Amino acid sequence: MITQWFFTHVDRRGGIAIALLVAIALLVPLSNLLLPQTSPLHIPTYLVSLIGKYLTYALLAVALDLVWGFCGILSLGHGAFFALGGYAMGMYLMRQIGPRGVYADPVLPDFMVFLNWKELPWFWHGFDNFWFAALMVVLVPGALAFGFGWLAFRSRVTGVYLSIITQALTYALLLAFFRNDMGFGGNNGLTDFKDILGFNIQAGTTRSMLFAATALFLALAVFVSSFIIRSKLGKVLVGVRDAESRMRFLGYRVDRYKLFVWTISAMMAGIAGALYVPQVGIINPSEFEPANSIEAVIWVAVGGRGTIIGPIIGAVLVNFGKTYFTAAFPEIWLFALGALFIIVTLFLPKGILGLYGSWRTKLADRAARKKDSAPPPVAAENVHLPEPQAAE
Amino acid sequence: MKAQDTLLYLDGVSVSFDGFRAINNLSLVLQTGEMRAIIGPNGAGKTTMMDIITGKTKPDAGDVYFNGEVDLTRHDEAEIALLGIGRKFQKPTVFESHTVEDNLVLALSGPRSAFSALFHRQSANEAERIEDILYTIRLNGKRDWLAANLSHGQKQWLEIGMLLAQDPKLLLVDEPVAGMTDAETAETAKLLREIAKTRSVLVVEHDMHFVRELDVKVTCLHEGSVLAEGSLDFVSNDQRVIEVYLGR
Amino acid sequence: MRLNRLLSVFILMLGFCCHIAQSNAQTVDDATLRPLVQALAGDNFENTTKAISDLVKTGDPRVSKILDALSAGDLYVAKADKTVFLGKRDGSDYAATDALTGAKLDPVPRSAAEKIKVNNRLRRDIAAAIGGLTLMSDNIAERRSAAEAILKTRDPESIPLLDQAIAVEKDAGVKALMQQAKAAAVLNSDAADDVKIAAITEVSAGNSRAALGLLTPLENVQGPVGEAAKAAIDSINTKLAFWNAIQNVVYGLSLGSVLLLAAIGLAITFGVMGVINMAHGEMVMIGAYTTFVVQQIIRTSAPGLFDYSLLIALPAAFLVSGGIGVVIERGIIRFLYGRPLETLLATWGISLVLQQAIRSWFGASNVQVGNPSWMAGSFDLGLLTLTWSRLWIIVFALSVFAILQLVLKKTMLGLRMRAVTQNRRMASSMGIRTPWVDALTFGLGSGIAGIAGVALSQIDNVSPNLGQGYIIDSFMVVVFGGVGNLWGTLVGAMSLGIANKFLEPFAGAVLGKIVVLVLIILFIQKRPRGLFALKGRAIEA
Ligand SMILES: Nc1ncnc2c1ncn2[C@@H]1O[C@H](COP(=O)(O)OP(=O)(O)OP(=O)(O)O)[C@@H](O)[C@H]1O
Ligand SMILES: [Mg+2]
Repeated sequence: MITQWFFTHVDRRGGIAIALLVAIALLVPLSNLLLPQTSPLHIPTYLVSLIGKYLTYALLAVALDLVWGFCGILSLGHGAFFALGGYAMGMYLMRQIGPRGVYADPVLPDFMVFLNWKELPWFWHGFDNFWFAALMVVLVPGALAFGFGWLAFRSRVTGVYLSIITQALTYALLLAFFRNDMGFGGNNGLTDFKDILGFNIQAGTTRSMLFAATALFLALAVFVSSFIIRSKLGKVLVGVRDAESRMRFLGYRVDRYKLFVWTISAMMAGIAGALYVPQVGIINPSEFEPANSIEAVIWVAVGGRGTIIGPIIGAVLVNFGKTYFTAAFPEIWLFALGALFIIVTLFLPKGILGLYGSWRTKLADRAARKKDSAPPPVAAENVHLPEPQAAE
Repeated sequence: MKAQDTLLYLDGVSVSFDGFRAINNLSLVLQTGEMRAIIGPNGAGKTTMMDIITGKTKPDAGDVYFNGEVDLTRHDEAEIALLGIGRKFQKPTVFESHTVEDNLVLALSGPRSAFSALFHRQSANEAERIEDILYTIRLNGKRDWLAANLSHGQKQWLEIGMLLAQDPKLLLVDEPVAGMTDAETAETAKLLREIAKTRSVLVVEHDMHFVRELDVKVTCLHEGSVLAEGSLDFVSNDQRVIEVYLGR
Repeated sequence: MRLNRLLSVFILMLGFCCHIAQSNAQTVDDATLRPLVQALAGDNFENTTKAISDLVKTGDPRVSKILDALSAGDLYVAKADKTVFLGKRDGSDYAATDALTGAKLDPVPRSAAEKIKVNNRLRRDIAAAIGGLTLMSDNIAERRSAAEAILKTRDPESIPLLDQAIAVEKDAGVKALMQQAKAAAVLNSDAADDVKIAAITEVSAGNSRAALGLLTPLENVQGPVGEAAKAAIDSINTKLAFWNAIQNVVYGLSLGSVLLLAAIGLAITFGVMGVINMAHGEMVMIGAYTTFVVQQIIRTSAPGLFDYSLLIALPAAFLVSGGIGVVIERGIIRFLYGRPLETLLATWGISLVLQQAIRSWFGASNVQVGNPSWMAGSFDLGLLTLTWSRLWIIVFALSVFAILQLVLKKTMLGLRMRAVTQNRRMASSMGIRTPWVDALTFGLGSGIAGIAGVALSQIDNVSPNLGQGYIIDSFMVVVFGGVGNLWGTLVGAMSLGIANKFLEPFAGAVLGKIVVLVLIILFIQKRPRGLFALKGRAIEA
């Protein structure tokens, strides 16, 4: 029953991805905690956290792809939702420090004591409760996305205009969060966390659990995305991406569809940020840098936009490359990243998965031609991309 | 004439773009159940008229009423579509990365809210209607094809199929036979006559054979207003129509 | 202490008389002066006061320096021989100089000397005495600073002194200053109402901010003086508000000019080609680095030409940035036409590569680009002080704008570019080689960015990140102004610049910027295609 329900909403590839993610959610912590350090299969804690970080990026990429790949909204500001989710989690972690801070104030975080603040600002109330914070992790990015999207989509701001104002949005937040009097720790941000839900945040077990949570949330995101994309709503979204005004003439309120998927996507990004912060131990305004948001776009492009698991592959690969290059050849990294942007847009518009997909169809084509029966041209494995339209 | 009792009522409609008057004091009335052919030279404002009816362009002046009572200038595209006005575009626009069947699923009349779309499951009735339409537009063998891979004529047909799926009261059909062979053109004329038995249709076409086959009242537009109106023979013998459009 | 006060008036009068008598400051021989200096080290303040008055009587120019030192607490007396000397702490000793001649003396151990004590009253007397001494000085700068000193202390007792000085003062500026000082002192005295009212008029004619400081305490005085003060304050406030607005406008225009320079090339590439060039900021940055290189060459090979370095850099930057632009267009962008979002990503990649290239080449830190002499310094305009660089930027931006308009309106390239903007397909079917127009347009847009870089190198830090700082603002300008119309860019840039400057005082620079960004985001809701949008089907795509 359940499996049947599951597979009406997820395709084979999505199913494999979910199974894999659940598996590593179990195996990686087990390997880290149970195997002796000498074992070749032992995964050291630093690596657990590192992969965990990649997976939060992957979650951000999945969220971004939901709007860009399937609905044609290129957001250059998704990092803002990620960072807001991260700040919500960071505020909870800050409040958990309690009197263990440098100034030992039982309520006020260190930076507030340092700024001579006497009481907690109103928006910090409630963040001592994990569940309240967890709610804010989705509500704050969701509300911002809803407000912004409501304004933008209703007045039909599309294409590059929309991209640019999403970039302006994250830039405005960057400037705002740099200010000390915003009450989010200014340019140092929030850090020096001690524990989460009562567990020491540095401990190997906690790290493993955070990793498992990230992998499971990513699996959930894959499921939710698949569910949306395979529903009629998903078809409407793809229709909006390819011919927005046509969709309107069919009677669809395009703005509401966009708003729906945009808000869902922002919430996913918020969750990604919330999982990111405890694993890296800090959140500061630089997460709002427009450059970060654009980098997330390239993860999606590399993996293959308009596919659900492409963004995961792209995020992990690109960030692995980044980790490697910035350590081994720091001066080359920006060249490599820049070249990646150019190469992917010029030669790999469908990303790695698209490449694989078209290779598969080519093989299938050849096989079919041997059998001498004209094959129905099927979508190249989930990759739905519109033909480039002529410059107008 | 009064707006009541008419299906579509345009009176004194004008619209200009950057000072250029594309529609100039245009008046046109369509009765329920009527099919009308619109002809006219390039740039006469035929497509722009459809833009006005479907809410894409707001007129600067004039009345546009649907069903005798609904002021179309106060509604946007989606609302007008839901009122029961379907449109086929001059340049065929189908959803290229969807299959033929999905294109019809999207067009199929029914609830349009995001929430219902998320949890939509196809009913037997819907499946049957899609089957019917696929048969009508002769694409039942290609239901799983991506629309992008259809020929130009097939796309035109698919778009007509989408119109049917929408189940509108009024169909606006912009140049349906452009790029079709003679045989296909004849088929299309037959199909439109079939459709016109149950609905009202407004067809824009340059192909005079096709218009003749439709055998309906003809309106000739020129420079944004009506030049002549009547049977095809009457219109095509009008001196001014010959001058500006038919030639010789 | 009434007596003390009287005494100080007496000192001043004496000092003043001496001056008049001697007309020009005269030196008195050391032998006469030394005992008087010694007397400064009296046992009580009264004796010191007396000694000051004696010193002032001599009218010797060295006196003011000695009194200065006394007031600053630098005058010491040796315990052993009671000699007075100028001391400066140096470890456990005082480095000593002769109070009169300034000759170097042997260091005195700190335990062997005592500071000559002064209290606040004494300090005021000294200040007034020095003021009196120097009001008649031969040196115009000294007279000026004496008048300024009185303007600060507003000591009513200096009024007669000022009257005399004003009578003989030749320099108009100093005279006006003295009159100001006198009026200020009158307001501080218990003169009759009509005298004070005249003084209020006098004060409010001078420096507005200082006048406000003088008049505010009088505002609540009952009677005609208070009313006159209130009226004067009101009129000064109006005047200040007016100049404040002017200042905001001028600063806003200069910020707007910077934005205009940065955005105008972008407006061309975006307007004509629909290309979002995220590497535009890097073209600006390269223009700035070109300026740097040009200056380096000039410094080493022809230092005399330094004042012309910017003029040489302009065409150089145009060619370098423009050339890079053409290469980028031919090499990458032309494959992406009709796919604006992909173009955006590819040009972002280009911007990363260019940034890193410059960083590897010139280093990550700022390079020093010099200002030619005509860029340095400032001038006054009403109550404003404007730097020349600010003015030149405005002039420069407007000229670039005008030249560009000319190019677009009057040249063949401009005509073709406009044809392509309006209808690409039609233009190409009429035989315009659109690829060629595209390449040149992109080159032109990039070249102008390079020129903008020359200007920005004068007011901003030249580092590999220079461009990043401008890109979002320039996009905002283009989006706000509307695409396809350079006037929109001009109006957009200037209104954003001015809006920023008007918001700054209320909201602070950062918050002001945020407010502007949010306003633009809201504005696009109302006019999704900007202020001066082109209409038409071609744009809708
Ligand atoms: N959105 C618009 N902006 C500017 N001009 C427009 C717009 N829409 C239509 N026009 C102009 O209005 C005129 C009428 O155009 P329209 O497309 O209605 O003609 P048509 O009768 O459909 O011609 P055709 O037979 O070639 O399809 C044309 O000159 C066209 O350029
Ligand atoms: Mg038409």
